[in-house]
Amino acid sequence: MALPFLEVSNLKKGFGGLMATNNVSFNVARDEIIGLIGPNGAGKTTLLRLITGILKPDSGNIKFRGKDITRMKVWDIVNLGIAGTFQNMRPFRRLPIIANVMVSCLSPRALKTGEWVKRIEAKALDALEFAGISDMALEKASTLSQGDLKRLEVARAIATDPELLLLDEPFGGLSPAETDLMAKSIKRLHKGGRFGRLHSEGPAMIIIEHKLQALMKIVDRVIVLNYGEVVAQCSPEEVVKHPAVIECYLGKGEI
Amino acid sequence: MSLLRYHLRKLFMIFKNEVLVLPSRIVVCIFFILLLIWPLIFEDPYAMRIVILASIFAIFAASWDLLSGFTGQINFGHALFFGVGAYGAAILNRQTGMPPWGSIPLGALIAVLAGLIVGIPCLRLRGTYLALTTLAFPIILASLIMTAPEYTGGEMGMSGLARLAMSRTANYYIVVVTMLVLVTVMWKITDSRMGIIFHAIREDELAVKAAGINTTMYKLIAFSLSGFFAGISGGLYAHFMRIAGPSTLEVSMSFQVVIWCVFGGMVTIWGPVGAVFILFPLLEFLRMWPEWRELMFALIVLIILLYMPGGLLPWVRNKIETECPRCKIRNVAFRSSCRVCAAEMK
Repeated sequence: MALPFLEVSNLKKGFGGLMATNNVSFNVARDEIIGLIGPNGAGKTTLLRLITGILKPDSGNIKFRGKDITRMKVWDIVNLGIAGTFQNMRPFRRLPIIANVMVSCLSPRALKTGEWVKRIEAKALDALEFAGISDMALEKASTLSQGDLKRLEVARAIATDPELLLLDEPFGGLSPAETDLMAKSIKRLHKGGRFGRLHSEGPAMIIIEHKLQALMKIVDRVIVLNYGEVVAQCSPEEVVKHPAVIECYLGKGEI
Repeated sequence: MSLLRYHLRKLFMIFKNEVLVLPSRIVVCIFFILLLIWPLIFEDPYAMRIVILASIFAIFAASWDLLSGFTGQINFGHALFFGVGAYGAAILNRQTGMPPWGSIPLGALIAVLAGLIVGIPCLRLRGTYLALTTLAFPIILASLIMTAPEYTGGEMGMSGLARLAMSRTANYYIVVVTMLVLVTVMWKITDSRMGIIFHAIREDELAVKAAGINTTMYKLIAFSLSGFFAGISGGLYAHFMRIAGPSTLEVSMSFQVVIWCVFGGMVTIWGPVGAVFILFPLLEFLRMWPEWRELMFALIVLIILLYMPGGLLPWVRNKIETECPRCKIRNVAFRSSCRVCAAEMK
């Protein structure tokens, strides 16, 4: 019996009186793409931040390949192979875009997995190329638009060679055409392989997204959160018919 | 023989194509050469003394820039490292009779220890809180020194330390060459991979953590590197002045270094060094009007900062050099096309 890849059990986190996540439990398999949806304030971003270790849960635990990562430092979790993006983009504004990605390339994990790449600049450039902003590599990050900042976040996350990638609204601020392109890139990344000098493990993914149409095309399974609790876990075909999901988005009432 | 000629030719080509194309690089070259031939031209001991002190404080200012400018850990108690370096060297020299070439590096290592002692409790703080906390450390050390006068000399300080060298010219070369080497090392550190991480920690520490980098370690490295370089400058100061007194720990010392860095342009390393070499002689020059000296100094600094908020030297540099819009290589301002990618300069 193989260990579960990522196992989240009974995760609780409260901010004051508000329970942001309440008894959340789910598993992720090595080869899955999971969509995490729910109304605003449902605790999606909190859940992602708990997994990346930026927030610490009040109770419950998270196991990655059988290893308890609940209380580990953020950088240790990243070096185990979990990388996440920020919903509110946090680039290093006064640094060139390529330097933003080079910071990720300097993490011990990225240095180890790509040791045949001597020049981290080249690797960073390939990550940028994957995200589609390599032509602006030398500009300052403060010149980027919102959509491009999203792509920069993705480039920064994949530069650490993650096995589990947590994307917080990767399509936010992108036009429909760009969304399609990004969705295709994510699909391609999930298959794994090499993108220039960038090596992809074919990471499992958890994607938070509000553009459901684009999301449903790429995910294998959807988890619906509402008020910090898992409302439904089902396939993308079923989720639109699921009564609990309809209730949390539209409310319940007599017609 | 032909091999030698080849290398000489290569060196000359590098000099011609990389150094002579940019005014800032020419200025740096002139600065290095001028400092090295200064005692051959000017015999005046007073001028030489000013250059020696300016060199010592240049190391000190650059080390503040390394910690506070690059890593963003604003330190208002940088005199601590200077004082620990000075006292460390002085105590080692007086108690064990260690010569300056041993006591200065060892004093600097004690300053590294001080850097770690300050750094570890300060890891949790940032911004204004960090600045105010660091302000306290030199004051604490100064009062500790007062309580143990038999080892530290109390208010009088420790005098009669060994000279750096016997002649003034030898003193000059020891200090100036040390300064040039250390400042180059600091600049190379900030230009390396570690420098990128320092920059990034200043911009957004959480994002650096999320990129898988142990920021605690890098912040402590920044504290200890900065402490080491400031400690060397403190040791040099103690052995040059032949006294290590409580004045090295004064609050004014901590703020002087901030003024130098902000005046010369933070996050550059060369900015603070240039600022010290401008402001220190300026302060001496203003001695002609002793009662107006401080006021005029403050006015000059204020006016410069008002009109050049990024610092004097980056402002000058941006006037004489422009960045290529395409490849971001710097060019002389009067060029119409980039020297590397031939893009049109606007």
